[in-house]
Amino acid sequence: FALFPPQLERGRALHTAARGGLSSVPSQDVPAEKPRAVFHTSESDPAKHTEQHEGRLYSIPLEEVKAVFPHGLPHRFQQQIQTFNEARVMVRKPALEILAYLKGSNFAHPAVRYVIYGERGTGKTMTLCHVVHYCSRQGWLVLHIPDAHLWVKNCKELFQSSYNKDRLDQPLQASVWLKNFKTSNERFLQEIKTQKKYMWGKRESTEEGRPLREVVEQGLARVRSASDAVGVVLRELKQQSHRGAFRLLVAVDGVNALWGPTTLRKEDKSPVSPGELTLVHNLRKMVMNDWNGGAIVTTLSQTGSLFKPSSAYTPQELLGKEGFDALDPFVPIPVPNYSPKEFESCYGYYLERKWLQHEKAHTEDGKAELQFLSGSNPRQLDRLAGPL
Amino acid sequence: APSAAGLGRRLRAWLPRIMPVRWSRYNPSYLEPEVKKEAYQKPLEELTEEEREQMELKAVRPIKAAPPTLSSSVFSDPMISKFTNMMMKSGNKVLARSLMSQTLEAIKRKQLEKYHKAPENEKETIECNPYVIFHQALKNCQPIIGLSNITRGGKTYQVPVPLTDNRKRFLAMKWLITECRDNKHRRTMMPEKLSQELLLAFKNEGPVIKRKHVLHKMAEANRAYAHFRWW
Repeated sequence: FALFPPQLERGRALHTAARGGLSSVPSQDVPAEKPRAVFHTSESDPAKHTEQHEGRLYSIPLEEVKAVFPHGLPHRFQQQIQTFNEARVMVRKPALEILAYLKGSNFAHPAVRYVIYGERGTGKTMTLCHVVHYCSRQGWLVLHIPDAHLWVKNCKELFQSSYNKDRLDQPLQASVWLKNFKTSNERFLQEIKTQKKYMWGKRESTEEGRPLREVVEQGLARVRSASDAVGVVLRELKQQSHRGAFRLLVAVDGVNALWGPTTLRKEDKSPVSPGELTLVHNLRKMVMNDWNGGAIVTTLSQTGSLFKPSSAYTPQELLGKEGFDALDPFVPIPVPNYSPKEFESCYGYYLERKWLQHEKAHTEDGKAELQFLSGSNPRQLDRLAGPL
Repeated sequence: APSAAGLGRRLRAWLPRIMPVRWSRYNPSYLEPEVKKEAYQKPLEELTEEEREQMELKAVRPIKAAPPTLSSSVFSDPMISKFTNMMMKSGNKVLARSLMSQTLEAIKRKQLEKYHKAPENEKETIECNPYVIFHQALKNCQPIIGLSNITRGGKTYQVPVPLTDNRKRFLAMKWLITECRDNKHRRTMMPEKLSQELLLAFKNEGPVIKRKHVLHKMAEANRAYAHFRWW
């Protein structure tokens, strides 16, 4: 059981040398003797990301992460932020494509829908997070639903909605979402005023012209009416977005949950269709392109989906006929596995952060093996690099 | 046994009455498979005489099937495989392997967090490589001397006895696994428990090291019976 002697190679010596000036490497020059430092970029504003930054990692300051992403980042990425003490996101082509479209879009026209699709673990959620970060930096109002699948399964409490007898409320999910929405969009809630009087039950009501923050507070205080509060918020935002006071981004992860089956059952054991859930009903109205002054960016996801085979990834398969007709027309954005350049970048980052500790992982053989075993799939690479 | 009368009539091969199920029984002409890449990358000129003969033999003889534990990966480690096999229950190697990789990842995360928070002068002392920690922890847990039951005159004595390397490794791994399985809170996950135990054993602390010391003390106490050993 002798340990192999550590293989010293050119990269190892550079490893310690490159640690010094990493984040401030300019994107133009590619110094031949410091290949590992090239994969970082100091440009932390997504608005300025171009093709030059493709394949590089940019960092988001940790306070901004807490403010912009109270929910929405994948669990493994959150663990990575905690371990490395920094949040580095790779700039990839699909995200750059969406950012270009958003920059050039005319907000007088109806909202354009973008559907990010791809195979499992290729980086759809991270692309969505990149777009969300850009929009929050630009001062948009971001309506981020981290995973629509959480609203159609594993719901402990289902109540009959007081507003509409046929629909069902989900107080827990709605209150969790309202709390996170409040964290990410503090200043907008103060500025936007309601346009109608809303009655919460027999005694409580919100007058016309009150800031939207009161609706959110009401939803958090009275958990029973949280789903209705969510509905009110969505309705107000949709009606007021065309005025131009703010830009609205609707970011939904796992949008195929809105038209797929649910695992929830009513008290008489009959299955619940997603249209009968208040939250899903209101979100479906939000995702329609009958409003202007913003954009709708969505992601398809097989991972949390119900009754769909694991090989399904295209919009047709995951959305079904109903969903496709509802979302049609949309701009499809495919997200592929890592290109060789992106793989090099990710591998270099793991080495630099000391995530790949195995002595063989520093060698060319180890790198080739990682590339082969993961198939350049980002999730597989992350899973493989974990124990190494 | 084949009957002499049957040999003429029935020309089929002789099969033993009991067919071995768990261990493969190959014809002795079958050779072992060679999985290391380096062996095939050597050019012809560098081979010695016996290696050339071996290569020519391999061209004519059949090769055994490679067992699933044999790996050509550069990251494979025989100790880790052994430990994984010992953790396995009812043949569920997939689960055992995933637990092992989660354990290694948990060790790495804990050490990296400590590393990034430590001041500059202490950074070199923190070991972040989970494999180094694993091997060192196992080495620290291995007992030097063991006890064996020897019966003399109706009474059984615990006699101190030297241990082979294999036995030491086995005992170290067994103690770690049983400690994690038995003496922890019911709801903690195995990777969490194991990573904690391995880190403690790496620093020469923890219940497994204590168990090793207890064994050494017992062996020291029973020194008088050492002459009962005849091997």
